Formats: sequence, C-alpha cells, structure tokens
Amino acid sequence: MSTATRLQTSPIETMRRREQFDIYSAYRRILGNEKISTPLAAILALTELIEKSNAGTMFELVQALKEGAEVLRKWFTNSISVNAGCELFIAFVTLFPHESADFKDLKIELAEQGRQYVNEAMSYREKIAKLALGFIKDGSVILTHSYSRVVMQALLLAHKQKRISVYVTEARPRGSGIRTHDELTAAGIPCTVVLDSAVAYVMDKVDLVLVGSEAVVESGGLINAVGSNQMAIIAKAANTPVYAMAESYKFHRLFPLSQYDLPTHTPDIHSFPRLRTRPTDSTNVRPSVLQSQVDLSSKQRLPSSTSAHTVSSSEYAMSPEQIRLNPEVDYTRPDLISLVFSDVGILTPEGVSQYLVGMFAG
Amino acid sequence: MSSERGSATSQRQIESLVCRLRRRQLIGSRETALETVHVIRQVVLRARFRHIDELIGMIKSVGRRLVDAQPKEHTVGNTIRKILHHIREEYNTAAQNSTLKAGPKSGFSISNFVLMGQPKKQSMPQKSSSVERNPESSVQNDSDLAQGLKPVLMEAIQDVLDELETVYDNVSKSAKDHIHSDEIILTIGKSKTVEAYLKSAAHYRNFTVIVAETCPSYSGHEMARILSSAGISTVLVPDSSIYAIMSRVNKVILGAHAILANGGMFAITGSLMASNAARAHSTPVVVCAGQFKLTPLWNLYHQYGALDFADPSSVLGFEEGSLVEKVEVVNPYYDYVNPELLDVYITNDGDHPPSSVYRLIKETYDDEDTEL
Repeated sequence: MSTATRLQTSPIETMRRREQFDIYSAYRRILGNEKISTPLAAILALTELIEKSNAGTMFELVQALKEGAEVLRKWFTNSISVNAGCELFIAFVTLFPHESADFKDLKIELAEQGRQYVNEAMSYREKIAKLALGFIKDGSVILTHSYSRVVMQALLLAHKQKRISVYVTEARPRGSGIRTHDELTAAGIPCTVVLDSAVAYVMDKVDLVLVGSEAVVESGGLINAVGSNQMAIIAKAANTPVYAMAESYKFHRLFPLSQYDLPTHTPDIHSFPRLRTRPTDSTNVRPSVLQSQVDLSSKQRLPSSTSAHTVSSSEYAMSPEQIRLNPEVDYTRPDLISLVFSDVGILTPEGVSQYLVGMFAG
Repeated sequence: MSSERGSATSQRQIESLVCRLRRRQLIGSRETALETVHVIRQVVLRARFRHIDELIGMIKSVGRRLVDAQPKEHTVGNTIRKILHHIREEYNTAAQNSTLKAGPKSGFSISNFVLMGQPKKQSMPQKSSSVERNPESSVQNDSDLAQGLKPVLMEAIQDVLDELETVYDNVSKSAKDHIHSDEIILTIGKSKTVEAYLKSAAHYRNFTVIVAETCPSYSGHEMARILSSAGISTVLVPDSSIYAIMSRVNKVILGAHAILANGGMFAITGSLMASNAARAHSTPVVVCAGQFKLTPLWNLYHQYGALDFADPSSVLGFEEGSLVEKVEVVNPYYDYVNPELLDVYITNDGDHPPSSVYRLIKETYDDEDTEL
C-alpha cells in the first residue's frame, strides 16, 4: 500500500542544516508500527519536530514544519500520501486559535493535538469497514486491487456476517495482490488472484469493486496503485459499482486533470528509448511479462503459472530498468467512482471537494 | 395526575397511528409524515423531562415503534429525525446563550478541523462537547433550561409541520421556469406533488401532458382525469408505448416515494422504464418531491423486499382459477431508479442534482439519528 520508495540521492545537505532533528529517521521509526499509515506517520514525525523545535514564534514554527515536510518529501519518488498528512497538519497548526500567552505551552498543545488525532485516526478503518458493510450483500463477489489495509478490514468484517468471495488482482510490479490473497485465504475467505490483464475477463462475475486509496483529490478522483484506473473504466463499462475507501487524512488538495498532472509523473515514465541504431537489441521491444522477483513467490502459490506457457517467464521478465519507467500510481476520474467511504461518512466524489475547501480555505 | 392522563392520551394516539400504519390504512408519504408530526407534538407537549436527553430518548422510542410498524413508509423516520435535529439545534442555541459559550478552543482538534468541511455551519461534536463539559454541576441548570425550552421546542415542531403543509406550493413555485409553452411532458402514476406542479405551470403555459396509465394500479387514469379537468391537454397512453413516444417528449416529470442518500429514489413501478427510455433519447428527467422524502439510507436497493409488494390480484385475479395455483405472481409497487438516470430534484427548497442529495441529508438530519 505505502508505495514510498527511496530516491538514490539522499538530501543529506538539507538535513545537516537541521542537525538537531532527523525527521526522516523519526518517520521510519514510526512507520515500523504496522498499523500506522504513511500520512499519519508524517503527522507524528511533524509533532516530534514541533517538540524538538526551538521556534519562538508561530511564523518560525510553521516555517520549520514546512521545511521538515520538504525534507521528508525529498526522500520519496511518490510523496503523495506523505504530503497529504503534512499539509493537513500544517494547515491545522496555522489555523489553531492561539490566544495563550506562552508559546512553549502552545507547542506542547499542538504536539498533543497531533498525537491525539493519530490515536483517534487509528479507529477510522474500523469505522469505514462498518460503513461498507451495508453495501456488501450476502453472497457478493468482490473485486479488489493490490493490498489495502482498509479494504482488508472491510472484507474481514464482512466475512464475519456474510458469505463473500474475493477476486484480487496481482497488482504488478509489486505483487501486493498476493499478500491480500494470502491474508484473506488465511481468514477463510474464498479468494482468487487475477492477472492485471484479466480484469475485463472477470468483471462480469463481480458484484462490486472495492479499492483503497493513496489519496483522494479535490475533484473526488482517486490516486491509487497503478491499475485502479483501468479497473474503474472496465467496471463502469460493465455497470459495476466502484467504491473507494479513504480515511479523511488522505483527502489531498490536488486537482489533476490527467495522469500526467500527478506529482509522481516524471518525463522518464513511459519514455521511448533513444535508439542508436536499428533495434537489434531485442530487450527493448520485448513484451513485458512477469517481474522475476515476484514471479518466484507467485509461481509457488499459483498452480496456473506453472503451466507450459509461463515456464519461460524468466526469459520474458521485465527488467528492473523497464519497470522503473512505469508509474506506481494512477489517477481515477471521479465519474468512474460511485461512492467514497470515509470516516466522515459516505460521500459522493463531489463531496470530497467540499471537505477540502472547508479545511484549507477556512 | 393530569400528566398521567396526558401521557395516556398520547399513548393512545401513538397506538392508533401504529395500527393504522400496520394495516395500511394510512398510506402516502406526506400523510404519514403529517400524522407523525401530530403525534410527536403531543408527546413533547405532555412530556415531563429533566434533561434534554430524556426528551430525545422519548421521541426516539416513539419513533422506533412507528418505524417498525411500517418500515417502508420512510417519511415517518425522516420526520422523527428532522424533529430531533430541530430540537437539538434549539437546545444548543439556548444552552450556549446561558452558559456563555465554552470557548471554541476546547473543541478545536484535527478531527474537528477535518469536519469543518462538513456542510453544517458549525460542526456538531464541538457543540456536544461544550454541553458535556460539566454534567454534574449543571444538572439543575439544565433541567430548568430544558423545561423553559418547551415553547421553543413546540415552535420548532410547528416549523416542521408548516413545511409539510406548504410543501406542494413551494415545490410548484418554480414550475413556470421549468415548463415552457408547447412542451410535451410525460408523467407516470399519480403524484400529488407532480399534480400541483403541473397545475401551477398551467396558469402560465400551454403544454401537453402524456400520462402513462401505470399498470396494474392504473393510477394514471385518475391522474389524467384530474389534469384534464384542470384544463390541461392530456393524453393517456398504455405503459408499453412509453419508449415509442419518448422521441416526441420534451421532459419526463416523476414523483418520488423516497429519495435515498446516493441520489437514487423509490418511485412507482414504471418509473425505471420511463427513465431508461428517457436516457435513451437524452430526454431530461425531472423529479418533483418535498424534502421530507429525503431518507438517510444508501443501500436500500440491495434488499429485494425494500421494493414493497402490492396486491397480486390486480395482476392475476382469482377468476383465472386454474392458473392461480400454478404461478407465483409478484406485484412490486416501487422501482428503484438509480441516480445516473435522473437529472434534477425539484424540492420545496430549491432544485438539486442527485449528486448533492447526500449533502442535503447531512444538513437536515443528525448523524446519530440515522439508526433510530
């Protein structure tokens, strides 16, 4: 789910300037807790920054927070969810009513508020799972994408009361779908892994599509692991409802109009190779098949992948270089999403923007 | 003593309403809503309570009984929710005035901050937290406050009643802006709201209404009679020709039984067919309905039984003798029309697209009342 990966170039210089506090290591340490998602970890890291900071005025403090957020952001190729957390917290700090005399007290209070919020936010997944329960009828076949903790919680909760079966996409290149499959199977839910390219094939059997999200943007659209968009398009064509699940701290003030407006998009993504000569080197034109690393683990679990066709998979595996040229997340337009389940209630995609405006314009 | 008798009378009233709902002697969304307000008004009038929560508890328990008596009349629950919302609002304004407000800071946390985006002017948790701050010391204060509040509460209930009584007038206020001269309108079934709407437009415009006869209740017949006696040129057609005539229709106007939070609605059978035909011809579909039909439920359409079933004898009478034993006859009374097929809701408080219905619902009801 948290698709944050390290960049090769470490922003050591920027860190040296803030020698007292290493926000990234704090962030990593917090994220060690399985239950804490990236935006919340970012908020907690910022509260630690507040505690350690020696800012004497509100302006300095906000400045410090912004720098901290910037440092944190530089560590990732995909900073969307971290960003959502940081922006929420900074907006909160800016608008916090502070008539009190002592600035130290205010800092303590702000840090306290941050921690309190994170504690509260831990229960959000449960809340969302309960909301979704009414939409899953007995005997439903559900399609989900990749691995999402909130979707897992919803499925496990639904399993306690209803008979459900789940199709999950493999979600290449990470293969997180396998994790979903393993956990659901362990819980006794009938679950089958579906090739990312077989979503259209399976769609007619599906009653509803349930996806998690990395962020929900102002248009009501969704940023999620790559493949969500095509899944939503196919679901729309088949008239299957798509429900997105997002905790409210994932609401993100961004208005992408296309895939290429996402902050994660770089010119490298899907760029064509510059050929020196005619393409004699066949690696460039090879069809993309399984990634070798995922292949090993999935082959053991998937009997189908041991069939004659895929034996040669190692030969046709996508090289890490080729994978690097592919996006990690994509953007799903709001008109493809039926509803967004969030801890503030069930919203139509349009409703999300209202919350964002209320939070950031107020 | 007198209050004993008083509560007995209101008990009797509740009992009688429960019975009439259960026996289907009282049908129709507006009538049930009106009766519900009357009963709740009696309950509040007679109620003796020390704290506002007691009163809310009382209203809720009455509400539960009424809803259980006839779960498919959604307006009963809606009315209860609306009254509760009004009562809380009045109480909170009064409480804030008397305790000189607990300061906005106590309620300012990140989660409330997120809630600032909520459609309400002031987020609820903030208010309730300021009320609960010192429950012990303010009990005396609260009970005085609660009793003194009664006239205000009665007024709040009267507001709900007034809204119900004026609903047709307010819905049809904008009729002449939506219906133009020489238009051909298609409608289905007999809805009082649509009837008022068309009649009001007829004062200003000349237009033709095509009424589908709406088998098997044939309520379209009555609708056609009412409209033509009001001087509107009316054509009655069988349901099966809805698709065929759709190419000539400028607008489809439907009534609703209940509007769901996702923007879909329950309406008389045939509405789904008419809306689908309209979609195929890109004809706009307009729904006329009072806001008391807004129902804070999202997923009723999952339940087969939610459609409500009418008497099958109108589909297959006993005179068919030999057949009756061999076939199962169902006569669903309502269609679920999904929001994608609808263009606009014309309500007594403005026109709204289906996608913002959930927001109206958040504004009208309190979240804690969704489950009565």
